[in-house]
Amino acid sequence: MIQVKQLKKQYKQAVVLDVDQLEIPNSECFGLVGNNGAGKTTLFRIMLDLVRATSGSVSIDKQDVSKTETWKATTGAYLDEHMLLTYLTPDEYFQTLRKIYGMSEADLDVHLEKFTELFNDEILGKKKYIRDLSKGNLKKVGIVAALMGRPEVVFLDEPFENLDPSSQIRLKKFILAEKEASQTTFLISSHDLNHVTEICDRIVLLEKGKIINDLRDKSAMMAELDAYFTG
Amino acid sequence: MIFELIRLQFLKSFRSTAFAKSAMANIFLGFLILLLLGYVFGAGIFLPRIIELLAEGQDPIDVMNSYLIFFFLAEFMYRYFLQTLPVIELESLLHLPIGKGKIISMLLIRSFISAMTIIPILLFLPSAFQIIEPIYGASGAVFWVGSIAMTSWTLHWFMLWFKQRFEDGLIGIIVVFAVLALGAGSSYMGWFNLGELTKPIFDLALTSPVPIVIMAAAMIGTFVLCRKFYLDNAYLEDLAAEAEIRFVGQSIGFFSRFGLAGELANLEWKLIIRHKKSRTYLMLSAFFLLYGLVFYTNPAYQSEDGGISWIFIFVGVFITGIFMIQYGQQFLSWNSANFDFFLNRKDGIEALVKGKYLLFISISVICFLASIPYVYFGWNILLVHIATFLFNIGILIHVIIYLALWKPKPMDLNKGAMFNYEGVGAAQFLIIIPLMAGPYLIYLPFSLLFNDYAGLLALAISGIIGLFAFKPLSQYNINRINANRYEISSSFRQES
Repeated sequence: MIQVKQLKKQYKQAVVLDVDQLEIPNSECFGLVGNNGAGKTTLFRIMLDLVRATSGSVSIDKQDVSKTETWKATTGAYLDEHMLLTYLTPDEYFQTLRKIYGMSEADLDVHLEKFTELFNDEILGKKKYIRDLSKGNLKKVGIVAALMGRPEVVFLDEPFENLDPSSQIRLKKFILAEKEASQTTFLISSHDLNHVTEICDRIVLLEKGKIINDLRDKSAMMAELDAYFTG
Repeated sequence: MIFELIRLQFLKSFRSTAFAKSAMANIFLGFLILLLLGYVFGAGIFLPRIIELLAEGQDPIDVMNSYLIFFFLAEFMYRYFLQTLPVIELESLLHLPIGKGKIISMLLIRSFISAMTIIPILLFLPSAFQIIEPIYGASGAVFWVGSIAMTSWTLHWFMLWFKQRFEDGLIGIIVVFAVLALGAGSSYMGWFNLGELTKPIFDLALTSPVPIVIMAAAMIGTFVLCRKFYLDNAYLEDLAAEAEIRFVGQSIGFFSRFGLAGELANLEWKLIIRHKKSRTYLMLSAFFLLYGLVFYTNPAYQSEDGGISWIFIFVGVFITGIFMIQYGQQFLSWNSANFDFFLNRKDGIEALVKGKYLLFISISVICFLASIPYVYFGWNILLVHIATFLFNIGILIHVIIYLALWKPKPMDLNKGAMFNYEGVGAAQFLIIIPLMAGPYLIYLPFSLLFNDYAGLLALAISGIIGLFAFKPLSQYNINRINANRYEISSSFRQES
C-alpha cells in the first residue's frame, strides 16, 4: 500500500504540489490525470524519492521512501529517458538490469518473451544504442525495463505517448493481464482519457498541484472527466 | 541573412545554460586565453634574442627559417587536438529555407575567428620588424610573415577537413603519428634534416612574393575543398551524428568478480568508450605516460648526489593517476544523463561509486605497470612511481572524489573534450590545489628531515593506510551523495 500524507512541494513561493491525503491499496490500477503543469510528474518523482518534498511524507509498504531503500527492489518505474542508460544497446541494458535484479538468463528470456509482439522486431538483436532509437521504441524499452524483476508497484509516466496505436492496445492488454495475474499495483499518468479510464479502477484528477477529484465509479468516470476537460 | 545567423550564434552561446551557470569559469578561461596570447606575443618579441643566445654566431634569420617547419608540425598537432568542428549547430538550421552554402560558409568562417588564427602573427611579426625589415625592407617582412600566416591558415582549413573526414578512424591516428615521427625522426634520430629541406622556401619568401602567393592559393584551395566537403555531407547522419557503432565496447571479464560494483564498473567502461569526450580523456592518459620522458631525461632535474628531484613526485602522481585526476574531477557529471537510473535502484548509488573506484584503481594499476620501463632512467624512478601510485589509490582518489562532489554539473558527453568546459565549476579548479600540494605535504617534511627515500616511504605508507581505510573513506563519499541526492538529480535534469 502506498500512503501520501500532507505532501507539499514548493519552489520559493510557488506551491506546485499540495496533496493532503492519498492512499493507494495493493493491486489497484491508479490513474493520474490533469493538464500540463498540474504536478503529475512532480508527484511521481516525489513518490520515487527523486525530488525532495518540502514537507509531508510518502511511504510504500509502510516504509518512508526518503529514509529507506528496500522498497526500490520491488518498485519499477519509467518516467523519462534519464532512467535509461542511453549509451547501451537495448540488449545490453536488459542484461545489466538482469544482473542488478539478480535474475537468471532464463528469467530474462521469459520476461522478454512476453513483449515479442510489442517490440515488433525493432529492439532486440539490433546494433543500435538506446539513444539512437525512435521515441516510441525508447518508451517501449523503458516500460519493459520498469516491469522487470517482478515489481509489486509500477510507476509509468505517459506510457501511451509516442506509441503507435497497435502498441498502445498491446500495452493496455498487458497491464490488464499483469494486474490480474500478479496483483501488481500500477500508477499511470496519462493525457489519453480513453486509455486510462479503460484500464484504471480509480482516477485522480490533479489541478495546480491539488487533488480536485477522486473518481472510483468506472461507469461515470469518462463523463466526469469529459466535463472537466471540456471546461 | 548572414548577420541574422551570426546574431543567432551569439544568442546561442550566451543563453546556453552552461554559460550562465559557469560564468566564472568562462571569465577565468577568457583571461587564461588572453594571458596565453600575451605570452605568445612576449615570446615573439624576444624570439630574435632567444635565437641569438641559443645559436651563437649564426644568422638568426637562417636559424629561424630552418626551424619554421617544426613550428608548423607543432601547429598541426595542437590544431588536431584543440580545433573544434563547427557542425553541432547544423541540426537546428538545416530544415530552414536558408541555402546550405550560406550556413556552411558561416560555420566555417566562425571557426576561423579563434585565438589560434593569430598565434603565428603574434609570434613572428615582432621578429619580422626587428631583424628582417632592416635587411630585406618592409616588403620582405610582409612577404615573410604573410607566407607564415597563410601556411598556418591553410593548416586551419586542412584540419577542419581532415578531422571531419578521418577522425575516429585509423587513418587519422596513423597520419598524426606519422607527423610526430617526421618531426622526431628528423631532429632526434638524424635520419634527414627536415629543417634544411624546407628552409629555401622561407628564404625565398624574404625577397620574393612567390611563396606568399602560392600559400594564399593553397589557403583558398583548402577552404574550397573544406567547404565542398562539408556541403556534400551536410546531412544529419553524416556530420552531426556520431559514426556507427565502431567501438562496440566489450565488457571486461575481470570486473565481473566484484559483483554489482564490478557490473557498474563495466557500465562505466562502456560509457567511456562510447562517448567522444571520455574517449579523449582516455587517450590523454596514454599520452601522459610519455610525460616522464620530458622530465626524466632533462639534465636540469638530475642531481649528482643521487637524490630525487622534487618535481619527480609531481610527475609520478600524474603518470600513475592521470585518469582518476581528469576523469574523477567530473565524478558524477559523467552520469548526469542517467542519474535517475541509479537513484531508482536499490543501493544504486553505492554500487555506482564503488564501480567507479574499481575502474579508477584498475586504470591506475595499468598506468603504473605501463610506466615500469622508466626504470631505464634509474631505480629511483621506479620507487617514485610505487610511492605515488600507492598514494594515488590510497589517498588522492578519495580527495578528488570528495571535491568533485561539490555541486556537480550536468554535461553532454557527445561533445569534444578540449576547451569544453561543460560540467566544470569552481570545484574543478580547486581540485588542483590538493592535487599539487597533497603529495608534497607528506613527502617534503620527511625528505627534508631525513632524506628523499624517507619521504617516498612516508608517501607509500600513507597510501597503504588509506587503502586499509578504504571502506570508511569510500562510505563517507557515498553518504555525501546520498545526502545530496535531490539537489544533484534536479541539477542534472536542468531544473530550477
